[in-house]
Amino acid sequence: MGVRRRQRPKRRANSASPISACCPRTGFKGWHALAWLREQGIAVPEANNRAGSLAGGGFAARLADTELLLTGSLDGAADTFDGLLAALGEAKPSGVYPVPRSDGSAWLTMTGRHAPSCMAKLCGVDLRSKKFPEGCVAQTSVARLNAVVVRADLGSVFALHLFFDSASAGYFWRCLVDAAAEYRGAPVGVLALRRLAAEVTPATGRTGDG
Amino acid sequence: MKMMTCPLNGPRNISEFAYGGEVIPEPASDTVDDAGWASFVFLSDNSAGVVREWWCHVPTSYWFIAERHRRSNEILRTYPASEVFGAGAQAKDQPA
Amino acid sequence: MSTRLPEPAGRLIDRTRTVAFTFDGRSYEGFEGDTIASALYANGVRVLSRSFKYHRPRGVFTMAGRDANTLVQVGPEPSVLADRRPITSGLAVTAQNVFGRAERDFGAALDKLGRFMPAGFYYKAFFKPKGSWAYWERVLRRMAGLGTVDVHTPHGPFDKQYLFADVAVIGAGPAGIAAAVAAAKAGAEVLLIDENPYLGGALAWGREDPDGSRLRALEASVAAYPTLSVMTDTVCNGWFEDNWLALIRENRLSKLRARAVVMAAGCDGQPAVFRNNDLPGVMLGSAAQRLIRLYGVKPGSRAVIVTSGAEGYEVALDLRDAGVEIACLADLRQDPPAAPGDTHFPVIAGAAVRAAVPGRGGAGVGGAEVARLSADGRLGTSIDRFACDLIVTTVGHHPAAQLLCQTGARLRYDDDAQMFRVAGLPETVFAAGSVDGIFGLESTIADGTRAGSAAAAAIGLDAKSSERPQSAPAGEGAPWPIFPHAEGKDFIDFDEDLQVKDILSSYAEGYDGIELVKRFSTVGMGPSQGRHSALTAARILSRAAGTTVDGAGVTTVRPPVGPEKIGHLAGRAFQPVRLTAMHHRHVALAARMMPAGAWMRPAYYGTPGDRDAAIHAEVMAVRENVGLIDVSTLGGIDIRGPEAAEFMNRFYTFAYLKQPVGRARYVLATDIGGVIIDDGVACRFGDEHFYVTTTTSTSDSVYRQMLWYNAQWRLKVDIANVTAAYAAVNIAGPKSRDVLAAIAADVDLSADACPYMGVREGLVAGLPARLLRVGFVGELGYEIHVPASCGEALWDALMEAGAAHGIRPFGVEAQRLLRLEKGHIIIGQDTDGLTFPDEAGMGWAVSVKKPYFVGARSVAIQRARPPQRLLVGFEMAKDDPLPEECHLVVRDDTITGRVTSVALSPVLGKIVGLAYVAPDQAEEGTAISIKLTDGRLVTARVVKPPFYDPEGDRQAL
Repeated sequence: MGVRRRQRPKRRANSASPISACCPRTGFKGWHALAWLREQGIAVPEANNRAGSLAGGGFAARLADTELLLTGSLDGAADTFDGLLAALGEAKPSGVYPVPRSDGSAWLTMTGRHAPSCMAKLCGVDLRSKKFPEGCVAQTSVARLNAVVVRADLGSVFALHLFFDSASAGYFWRCLVDAAAEYRGAPVGVLALRRLAAEVTPATGRTGDG
Repeated sequence: MKMMTCPLNGPRNISEFAYGGEVIPEPASDTVDDAGWASFVFLSDNSAGVVREWWCHVPTSYWFIAERHRRSNEILRTYPASEVFGAGAQAKDQPA
Repeated sequence: MSTRLPEPAGRLIDRTRTVAFTFDGRSYEGFEGDTIASALYANGVRVLSRSFKYHRPRGVFTMAGRDANTLVQVGPEPSVLADRRPITSGLAVTAQNVFGRAERDFGAALDKLGRFMPAGFYYKAFFKPKGSWAYWERVLRRMAGLGTVDVHTPHGPFDKQYLFADVAVIGAGPAGIAAAVAAAKAGAEVLLIDENPYLGGALAWGREDPDGSRLRALEASVAAYPTLSVMTDTVCNGWFEDNWLALIRENRLSKLRARAVVMAAGCDGQPAVFRNNDLPGVMLGSAAQRLIRLYGVKPGSRAVIVTSGAEGYEVALDLRDAGVEIACLADLRQDPPAAPGDTHFPVIAGAAVRAAVPGRGGAGVGGAEVARLSADGRLGTSIDRFACDLIVTTVGHHPAAQLLCQTGARLRYDDDAQMFRVAGLPETVFAAGSVDGIFGLESTIADGTRAGSAAAAAIGLDAKSSERPQSAPAGEGAPWPIFPHAEGKDFIDFDEDLQVKDILSSYAEGYDGIELVKRFSTVGMGPSQGRHSALTAARILSRAAGTTVDGAGVTTVRPPVGPEKIGHLAGRAFQPVRLTAMHHRHVALAARMMPAGAWMRPAYYGTPGDRDAAIHAEVMAVRENVGLIDVSTLGGIDIRGPEAAEFMNRFYTFAYLKQPVGRARYVLATDIGGVIIDDGVACRFGDEHFYVTTTTSTSDSVYRQMLWYNAQWRLKVDIANVTAAYAAVNIAGPKSRDVLAAIAADVDLSADACPYMGVREGLVAGLPARLLRVGFVGELGYEIHVPASCGEALWDALMEAGAAHGIRPFGVEAQRLLRLEKGHIIIGQDTDGLTFPDEAGMGWAVSVKKPYFVGARSVAIQRARPPQRLLVGFEMAKDDPLPEECHLVVRDDTITGRVTSVALSPVLGKIVGLAYVAPDQAEEGTAISIKLTDGRLVTARVVKPPFYDPEGDRQAL
């Protein structure tokens, strides 16, 4: 009895992992930032709160008309964006300013079929797979923290990437692990995620219901 | 819990927003008299009709304007501040 | 002694599994699936509780968790509904509100004193003799209240979850199921919610589905749609704006956002009002049917039924099938239509139960007095007496419309149906079934289908619309099933022990509206919240006031519908905590951490036992050698762009247009009213780049305020809150330069190259750093900001390089004392919600030349008047009693100010502090009087700060 057809205990558990330490991320903001990034060959999404994949792996999340968040691939080197930042330092175009995402924002990834239900204990935005498809971005409150949520699956596995104040990383981690316990979720390391990401799927083979 | 449609983020629970007071153009502070200035700082209109208000989407610190009917609490419209204050021009009544 | 019925009765119980439990210390057995009430009933226990005021015995009335007669204490949990809580092995249940046991309650003596305790008696009693209320209040408090709270109850794991649905359906009876299926068929994502552990509502215990086939068909229709989810055992406790529903199931509160809602919560059978109508054994017809069909319990051996329609006859058939003898069927209607089928019930038409007669022991029904009614519905004198142990009433319904009323809908009285009906629902809320006055299986299913389709259409899906079905049969409510008795005890509200005369006397006192009657008499204020009293109260008031029942009306309905625990509302209690990059270093150094807003900062390094000694040592280390403090929590905001300086000039009070690159300048922010809201330091790293620090607690609010202003000014400037991206330390003390030089080889730290208030960017210990030379604690010192990921490395490098110089980490307590010795003010402590710059001695930071800054006009207006108070420094001898913050400064009988900061300074050997005083007390040397907590007055002397190194030589080294 009770809640039916919303969840059953599944074999494939939930996972969450901190990959701040090694995985590259940066940001740019300013009234000229998106135009300048396009000039540098970055694929800037066409609308706000959308994300698209980048040529070198990783994704670009457009947070506003004046801000972009960029990540490298999971096995990317920490200096992935050094070239871009150097070009900025050289040209110093007006209206383009770097955002210190690698220090200011922590990055957690939650994967698995129960991720939306787990997140529903922390966040008031509907993150179910059909309602929050690949490439969606939500800037909202998660466990009382301001966070950016990006849907970017790893291989065929549903994945949500969370970016939030790095000073709150310990607190947030505890909230996620506590919320995931009900779904037999557990922390996993970066290597597991890299393996998932490496599983290439045909266009139609995405994950099922969240 | 009420919903508010943020011009940047779409419909969200009102708990994601902070209220910023009525949209009142600041009078020219060098020419308005003391009473007029005090009225601007401390008093607000309390009519039972549509009011234009500042709201901030806290997770993004994005400020925008909402038109709300005070009696029914219905939010009629939300839009970016640039609609009132211009895209790049200075707000009027402000010294250069 | 069991009163169990054979199968198929008892569809919820499993007869193969017995469960043992106790009630009031005695052991009983039931079956798995029994509730506490049904198991006790099966064991012949009918008294479950004692009433609130008169301690009258009470028992099953609704058998549905809709009345408060069944509230019992289960272990540490008070006020559990016995007719909803399943029994489990070893469950220890006790009665509430009793002195003794439910069966034998010494409080029953209060029943005899009933006439001294009419409604509102406490408003008129206990005034004399003087002081009697103090005594009686304690007595009444002990006697009042239900249940006991165990303050040592272990915390439970409560949490919350958000849910989303296109269409939410509250109530899984035939109407609700039909609505859910219709909406799902139209393509909606549907969530069907019911407070019971089973689907089907009345179909599960009523007579309309003898072999259960209709119920099975409805259940199958629910299962046919994968987009239709079901939550049973779930109470919907409130409707909030934009279709936000609070759902409670066990320990979880689910917050459901639905785009459309169908409410099909059914209705509550109503009591007939007659003398002793509250005795155990008097119950609704539906209660008797629930006992029979759900739990297989025989409700009694001999029954009297009072009815106003066909429902009573249906119940009579069920009772007879269960082996209960029907002594009399009193039909309120003078001319009832022929009974369905050939039933041979002993019917008395145009009659009503006049009184229930207590049986032996006085704790249950022993008989009933049935009187004929006159043509105008009054009790006549022709009375028949019947022995019975069960009195069943089916005299009408009241919609379970609490949720619907919370949406803003009103209840209007329908004179045809003789019940209240809902009117004025919002666009996306629909009502279906008996809650909307539609009865009969086929009609409720049709109505549910209509409502579900309408809900789907309201959210843009393609669904057929249909008309509201004609109700067949109608609810057949009695217009006036109220028979007050000369000797009273004719209850209209069981929870509050209110009788007919209590409503009449409230009206006679002048409380002539239903809201006033409610508050004076307390009708409807008990746990049942008016389910069985609102209709009766409206009727009585309408007659007393000479209005219609609709005119009398019902009171405003507010959430919650039912009880909810504080745990449900608290959930997981998320409390964000922010840690600096050097947190682990502080912990390793035995720092005593303290909260500063959401951050954790070291208060001092050491154990609580040597707090004062530790702070003292830290202060001396900074003054004599070198100290290191983590200041990462101070906000950091990057202001960049061609109009960065213009933005700074408008936002802050000081002048920034001409601030040279490579220099830092104090910032002071006022709000539009001219009140100080923040201070900090602005570093100019480029023509178009300012880096501003704020106070710890204001980084987010100042950042938001900056964005708000620029949304109006539209200057070409970018504002970024980079607080968490940088870790920062302040190294201070005469040896600080030596320590820093050891790890910043390529930075020229000489007094010329790096002057006081100079800023540089460079490498410190190989880490990219922003370097500021600031005053901070009044010693030679440097503030170093590095990317957060480099924080630990910076800390380690400085501690290592400083070891030879006796470097010591210092915390917030030492910092506060050091800064007080220099007279630095703390925004929010030495300033309050009204402080203007001039009052706090900050007038120097207000530019008079620039045309505009936020609050300039207000500051100018204040400057044109004499100040009303001034913040001054004061000192006292070190052995004087130490005042505390907020101690008042008094002169004769008036308060002229208060202490804002105060501390004993080990370096200066005296007490120093800051205080607001009257302007004529601000002269240096003035004696001021401070009042301590115990009332003593101590004298302090006004001194111009800084107290330490007034010339500022030490920080300019």
